[in-house]
Amino acid sequence: MSSPSTTAEQLAFDAKDVCVWYGEKQVLFNINLGVRPKSITAIIGPSGCGKSTFLRCLNRMHELVPSARLEGHITLFGDDLYAPTVDPAFVRRRVGMVFQKSNPFPTMSIQDNVVAGLRLNGIRDKAFLNEQMEKSLRLAALWDEVKDDLHKPGVSLSGGQQQRLCIARAVAMQPEVLLMDEPCSALDPMATQKIEELMQEIKRNFTIVIVTHNMQQAARCSEQTAFLFMGKLIEMDSTEKIFGNPSQQQTEDYITGRFG
Amino acid sequence: MPQSHTLHSFDQALTNLRNTVLMMASLTERSLDNAMTGLFERDSDRCNVVIADDEEIDTLEKTVDKDGYDVLIRFQPVASDFRQVIATMKLSNNLERVGDAAVNIARRVKKLNAHPALPEAKSLEPMYAEAKAMLKDSLRAFTDGDMEIAGALKPRDKQLDRMNKDIANQLTEAMPKQTEQLRGYLNLILIARSLERVGDHATNIAEDAIFAKSAEDTRHSNPIKV
Repeated sequence: MSSPSTTAEQLAFDAKDVCVWYGEKQVLFNINLGVRPKSITAIIGPSGCGKSTFLRCLNRMHELVPSARLEGHITLFGDDLYAPTVDPAFVRRRVGMVFQKSNPFPTMSIQDNVVAGLRLNGIRDKAFLNEQMEKSLRLAALWDEVKDDLHKPGVSLSGGQQQRLCIARAVAMQPEVLLMDEPCSALDPMATQKIEELMQEIKRNFTIVIVTHNMQQAARCSEQTAFLFMGKLIEMDSTEKIFGNPSQQQTEDYITGRFG
Repeated sequence: MPQSHTLHSFDQALTNLRNTVLMMASLTERSLDNAMTGLFERDSDRCNVVIADDEEIDTLEKTVDKDGYDVLIRFQPVASDFRQVIATMKLSNNLERVGDAAVNIARRVKKLNAHPALPEAKSLEPMYAEAKAMLKDSLRAFTDGDMEIAGALKPRDKQLDRMNKDIANQLTEAMPKQTEQLRGYLNLILIARSLERVGDHATNIAEDAIFAKSAEDTRHSNPIKV
């Protein structure tokens, strides 16, 4: 495997020539994309452009699809995520993920949901688990709302609260990066606002990559925006540049609602 | 021509905004023309038309602002669409100021027309021709996105400033010889100054045209880079 360059060491993710196939069908074409640490990077593009596939490549979740195949290199702070010796489970500990639909474990209480990942990794120290649980719920801006109901089922919470519970569960593992796949698409504006505020808070400690269909959300939240179209990276730049004066006509056509 | 927006109502809203500001531009040009023709042909009726039309120009400015806000709120445009809306709202503001300049000129012309003609009034013709051409060109730069025309406006504004200065000097020198026409000379000097302001607004419009087209902010820079 190629040794990480100086630039790669400065980046959280550095994707080089990433191509992905599902069976015979190629869905990503030579994606070269860098993600800066402790910042929010948005990936936008129409449905089917490959943005969720790319996001899943960042923690090897695409491998859960049996026919998926990847070529190219992705490094996380200089470490090759696809080196033969790397365990995908270890990658997913370093790279947490929040999904479109909140998915708390239905049989678990709020507190058990938060520390489920830690328990799965063999941590049994109750004091430590409690400490991590409170810290994560506070970080997810949920603590004040649930501190008296920690034993209630996670699924008893509202949709927005459940999504924040999932964020708490993800950050409890102390990942280096949080991937968010349309985390607010099922939420009302108030719940969306809370998640967006939360993202600004947690980016102090984590790198965030978010896939969103909501361009206003990408413009509001992110520092960098990448535009994917038909499996290709058309343009990546500062969010201000992408939504103010993009370099590529295809980007302009997409964000202004004129498909190229 | 830009490709159509997938949302027809957005295209319609942008077209309406553009049509309103173009109507405003047409009225403003007409007011300036009426005011200066009122001077050269000593026709105070034309000046009264300018003063009456100003209300319509003011109403159109408010319409453009309201329609612009509506587009921003309803469609949240980005990139070139966003710049187009902002630049159109700024254009309407500059046109309203040109309308005010026309009214100022018309009021002074009415005062001048109440007294014997001043032959020096003719000396304002070249300056008016240039101010009028600058306004027309700035509007063309805006509607056609013609960056070459837009880029040429700032040096032309400097030239207009020099013409204004020359006229002011020339009239100031004539004042001691015609002391009974002091007010008249003063009004001519102030009319020239209003024309100079028209040039400033044309330059502002050109700068907004450049911003709308290329996102480049050329204000307070000399010369305009295209």
